[in-house]
Amino acid sequence: MSDDTLGEDAAVEQSSPATGRSLPARYVAGLIGLALLAVLPVPSLLGVESVTLFGTVTITFGLSSYQLLQVAGAFYFAMFAMSWDVVSGYTGQISFGHGFFFALGGYTSALLNLTYGVAPLAAIPAGVAVAALGGVVIGVPALRLRGPYLSLVTLVAPQVLLSVFILFSGTFGGELGLSSPDNLLGVGLGNPVLVYYIAFALFVAILAVLLAVTRSSAGAVFTAIREDEDAVAAAGLNPAKFKTFAFVLSAAVGGLAGAVLVHTPVGNPQPSQLLATQVSIEVIIAAILGGMGTIVGAAIGGLIVYLLPEYLNTVEYVVPVLDAPVSEIDFLLFAVIALVLLFVMPGGVLRAALRIARDRLSDRRGEGVAADGGRRARTPVEQVRERWRSAVERTLGRGPDRERRTTDGRRSDGRRADDRDANRGHENGGDTDEH
Amino acid sequence: MSTEPDAAGATGEGTVGYGPDDGVLVIENLTKRFGGLTAVDDLSFAVREREILGFIGPNGAGKSTTFNCVTGRYPPTSGTVWYRGEDVTGESAHEMVNSGLARTFQEFRPLHDRTVVENVAIGLVPDRLFSLAGLRGETGQRAASICRRVGLGDRLELTPDELPHAGLLRLELGRALATDPDMLLVDEPFAGLSGPEVESVSGLLRELRDEGLTLAVVDHNMRGLLSLIDRAVVINFGAKIAEGAPEEIRQDPEVQRAYLGGDL
Ligand SMILES: Nc1ncnc2c1ncn2[C@@H]1O[C@H](COP(=O)(O)OP(=O)(O)OP(=O)(O)O)[C@@H](O)[C@H]1O
Ligand SMILES: [Mg+2]
Repeated sequence: MSDDTLGEDAAVEQSSPATGRSLPARYVAGLIGLALLAVLPVPSLLGVESVTLFGTVTITFGLSSYQLLQVAGAFYFAMFAMSWDVVSGYTGQISFGHGFFFALGGYTSALLNLTYGVAPLAAIPAGVAVAALGGVVIGVPALRLRGPYLSLVTLVAPQVLLSVFILFSGTFGGELGLSSPDNLLGVGLGNPVLVYYIAFALFVAILAVLLAVTRSSAGAVFTAIREDEDAVAAAGLNPAKFKTFAFVLSAAVGGLAGAVLVHTPVGNPQPSQLLATQVSIEVIIAAILGGMGTIVGAAIGGLIVYLLPEYLNTVEYVVPVLDAPVSEIDFLLFAVIALVLLFVMPGGVLRAALRIARDRLSDRRGEGVAADGGRRARTPVEQVRERWRSAVERTLGRGPDRERRTTDGRRSDGRRADDRDANRGHENGGDTDEH
Repeated sequence: MSTEPDAAGATGEGTVGYGPDDGVLVIENLTKRFGGLTAVDDLSFAVREREILGFIGPNGAGKSTTFNCVTGRYPPTSGTVWYRGEDVTGESAHEMVNSGLARTFQEFRPLHDRTVVENVAIGLVPDRLFSLAGLRGETGQRAASICRRVGLGDRLELTPDELPHAGLLRLELGRALATDPDMLLVDEPFAGLSGPEVESVSGLLRELRDEGLTLAVVDHNMRGLLSLIDRAVVINFGAKIAEGAPEEIRQDPEVQRAYLGGDL
């Protein structure tokens, strides 16, 4: 219990008896974070939003109604990011068009409500079902495609859907979208605290489901697929089945978030909110920034990516050289901050935070070396790049058997092994063979 | 398996037909072409229950390709593969594993993103989307015991990148064994191993056979295999040139020609 390293893998945790262990610090941190989010609206609920001490210093806590709605919107965006992460972050099948699923969910639910008067509570599951179906439609053909080719399909799918929306503007409202459907349970602008809590509850529910899936053996298979599909098949596991499952699960979750979102005052069934390329891209930025392949990282990244520009927008400070107020160049600033973060922590915010915490802890215990032995595992981004590289090489005619990873001298192809074989044979007095 | 045709023995002429019951694994007239290159050329042989078969041939002879066609990594261009009497030609890789035929990769294919014990544990995961067998608890225990079995018991928490060459081979064996196979195809286990390592891995393979496994072991030549195998099949340019007991093979003129009088 005392010498387990924070944030190390499941195997470490399992090798020490679970009895009487305290929760690892990262879980505690996560729970504290959730608890803070849960009580965020309380001051506004109680009507105490600020206190004035000694008649001079005013401390503001709690959020304004407007800010509550903003955070609620951020929750939905974080759900989008998590849904992307479970398929792209985990299995490495990068989707550039997840808006396709958000829109399928959102538009289905909104149309059922607007056209047929179906109550949101009944329309939302239908939206989820249609989005899941969309997951099958994209996910199954995707099995035959690798790397960039799959991504191309995901890039095109939302464009096709948008064309349909524009072509049948009468039904789908074209580029402007549909009018607002009914609010879920009638919770509207008048009740920002409830809007907040509906979003928060769904956020927690999706977080819990995706954490459960990715921490189960299915999650281990997902990441194994990202790493090496042939090895997964050699372990007796059907990669196609798990990849399809990841796609459909992701589509359903994204569709759910989209469907609920349109029935809140923070979202509408409009391409700009659900389907636009910018939505799909920002979701990817969020997940990578927070920590691709962790779910929690995608959630954190989603909150940051949604709220940071909103915050920058309110800053009145004028940047000296550019002579522009921060609020006017918020997107530029956001992009710069995102780039810097990605450069400094390629594995994402979450991994960086865990590593810092771990190093701190091992420092405190007087361990000289960092707990991870100074080795850095490849980040999911690097793994995906690797997949893309081999997919392209395959297409350019370099056989799958002949290309090997080159990021590490240890990974080599048959020929290299043979060379080494010959060398070693020398060293050991030709004990193996020479050829 | 009782009717192994003798004519297909030392003469190496694979024209005598094999039947589905001539062995655990029966390969008949297997051909694999990559574009204009014929990597496996009308190859036929059978692996008998509980034997250790040496599958031998010079560099580029088509040994790995044969394995790849048998284990569903590549579809054969033509020919038939029977496993336990069933036609399994063109079955996918995971289906072959689930029917009991596991393989190792010559070039080693560990999952670099996880520890040794987790690499083995992936072989224990059932091929179901929802399973209660988590990677912790019982699965972890079983994975650890398989690691001990293949000689990685003291390196459970290392990553594959921290393992030496021989360790990676053991990891390949561990992951294959985790799928609980009846038969194991081992692709060139001895390349790059030192003498004592060859001995130790041979010992492990022999133990596995004694426990009921059937094995086919690939190598360039018979040096490392001599004391291990019961029988050998030798191929060159994708076609079988000899088959029989190790001593017979060494005397075979065609085999000697294939190795240009070199070391066999
Ligand atoms: N995916 C592929 N695409 C094209 N040619 C291939 C492919 N895989 C193998 N080959 C070719 O098929 C032939 C047989 O290769 P294979 O790897 O089966 O030989 P091997 O007997 O295993 O040799 P080694 O002892 O080097 O492992 C070689 O000429 C090889 O270049
Ligand atoms: Mg080979």
